[in-house]
Amino acid sequence: MSGFSFDRRAFVAGSRDIIAIGFPGIPFGMVIGVVIAESGIGSFVGWVGSWVILAGAANLALLELMAEQASTAVVLLTVVFINARHAMYSAALRPRFAGFPRWFRFIGPYFLIDQVFALAASRPDEIAARERLWHYFGSAVTLWTLWVASVTAGLLLGDVIDPDWQLTFAVPLLFSGLMLLSITNRPGITAAMVGGGVALLTTDVPHGSGVIIAILAGVSAGTIAETRSEVAA
Amino acid sequence: MSPWATIFAAGAITYLTRASFIAAGDRLRLPPVVERSLHYVAPASFAAIALPATLGGDRFANVGDDWPRIAAVCVASAVIVRWRNVPASLLAGMVTLWVILAVN
Repeated sequence: MSGFSFDRRAFVAGSRDIIAIGFPGIPFGMVIGVVIAESGIGSFVGWVGSWVILAGAANLALLELMAEQASTAVVLLTVVFINARHAMYSAALRPRFAGFPRWFRFIGPYFLIDQVFALAASRPDEIAARERLWHYFGSAVTLWTLWVASVTAGLLLGDVIDPDWQLTFAVPLLFSGLMLLSITNRPGITAAMVGGGVALLTTDVPHGSGVIIAILAGVSAGTIAETRSEVAA
Repeated sequence: MSPWATIFAAGAITYLTRASFIAAGDRLRLPPVVERSLHYVAPASFAAIALPATLGGDRFANVGDDWPRIAAVCVASAVIVRWRNVPASLLAGMVTLWVILAVN
């Protein structure tokens, strides 16, 4: 355990790095707060849900379905499909957490929001394990705080942001940018094009299952492209 | 089910999904082709989230048409490719959207 004692510098760096890609979540979190207030499921249970679930897209779909009295099976199935991508994130980060202590393997994943994954996946492999662990926690705890504060603000204050500002558009802008930053080779371009293209074609597939279908298609296409380029070389 | 039970079930599903491979730890051995494929999880996932949010109607920007959103994403993308700075790209994309909406 002593090998993973608290590293304040790494924690602060993680906190600083996540703010740069986490702040677009503020207007989105506030929207969730407003939707909780309007959903009729109860403000307190909805608020607790925002940090129990800690995943914006799934949380929004859950609130909308609960508000329209959908069956519990449909609500939970939708959460399964929308959040299935987190299993891919988990698989992608696992080798980077090799040798990390047991407690981290159980606490760390709770915080695995898209941006936390993007940041952790982008860090060079050479960085020491202890520094990577505390950088992860710095980013995780900071984004958690930002998210819960945003949902709380939306719940208490309501629609305070003028909708004409279109601030939630920061979300697609952010993910476009994260996509471009995550492309490191030609097969990465293939993965993004197929993932994005299939996602456009599957928006009407039931229960939000289009996203995971699209990701699996994109990952497969990238892997095939990589194999082919190696064969050609 | 009560709202509480539904919410905690949804939270448990999300946690177990996120923990799946990380909690399995170093003992787990994946086939080499699967290990290599994980390199493409980030670009495929972020594209699969970004594209439908940009072209799939007014959910994230209520402007009635796709082209202002496409223009904003293009400007933001140019900024990120050139300077690799996320806040600057977001600002550039939002300003583009605001200018289009103001003059349109």
